[in-house]
Amino acid sequence: MGNADAGWLVRPFEIRGTVIVATLHEVESEMLCQLAGQLAELLGDRARTDRSDSPAGSAAALLAQLGIGGSASAPLDPALARLLPDAYRNDHTAASEHRQLTELGLVDRKIANAEAVVASLTNDPVELTDAIAQSWLRTLTDLRLTLAARLHIEDDGDEGTGDDAMLDVYDWLGYLQGTLLETIEHREVNGEL
Amino acid sequence: MSIPTLERETDLDAAQQPDTPWVTIVWNDPVNLQTYVSYVFRTYFGHPRAEAERLMLLVHNEGRAVVASGGREEMERHVEAMHDFGLWATLTRDGS
Repeated sequence: MGNADAGWLVRPFEIRGTVIVATLHEVESEMLCQLAGQLAELLGDRARTDRSDSPAGSAAALLAQLGIGGSASAPLDPALARLLPDAYRNDHTAASEHRQLTELGLVDRKIANAEAVVASLTNDPVELTDAIAQSWLRTLTDLRLTLAARLHIEDDGDEGTGDDAMLDVYDWLGYLQGTLLETIEHREVNGEL
Repeated sequence: MSIPTLERETDLDAAQQPDTPWVTIVWNDPVNLQTYVSYVFRTYFGHPRAEAERLMLLVHNEGRAVVASGGREEMERHVEAMHDFGLWATLTRDGS
């Protein structure tokens, strides 16, 4: 697993009354907004593939309209493959069947989370209700999984290869998630939930 | 250790029921924060803090941990929920 150890000094979240507020710098806010938007696009492409893979008029196409369709095989893109892993490890048939029933729903929920993060960043202050905080936690995870795939971070201890700027963003997202978790737990411990 | 005959028979009976012997496994990955994995185990499965921590460390140190067992459909729901959280999870028949 990773760790969120980093040298940032300014805490990106604070508790005002009972609400968690994100206090990101403008440039950080823009960065997160762009990344979450790109994540939604990446997943959106997969959702379109899922939907177009189903022949028109077929049962699969009807299911896809209801948001419960999906492709029969795992994505080739390593980032998407990690975001949408097989549910069965050594049973290709079961994995494929499960994916066809569930992948589109999973993709749509991930997109909704990313879009909720983007929308929350347009507010001033950026208040994180419990539901929005969940979207943040999950989207920060999905973004880090995506960047880790691009940076070839595959095993514990891998430091990543490639773009230094991307590595910095990866670390920063980990710091955001770590401090958001601390803030959520601090609020819980103090009986504010 | 020796196993009393009665218990062994009970285990066999359980294994023959198609709806019981499935497990949800969470696998280690280099990305997810330890605090996040604990948080997911605590909030999603409702484990006390210490148990969530124990399971998280099992995943981290052993590479995997069984986090739930029960019927196949229930395990499929857990796996899907773990994928929602971005954890790498699979289900399998217990013992396979």
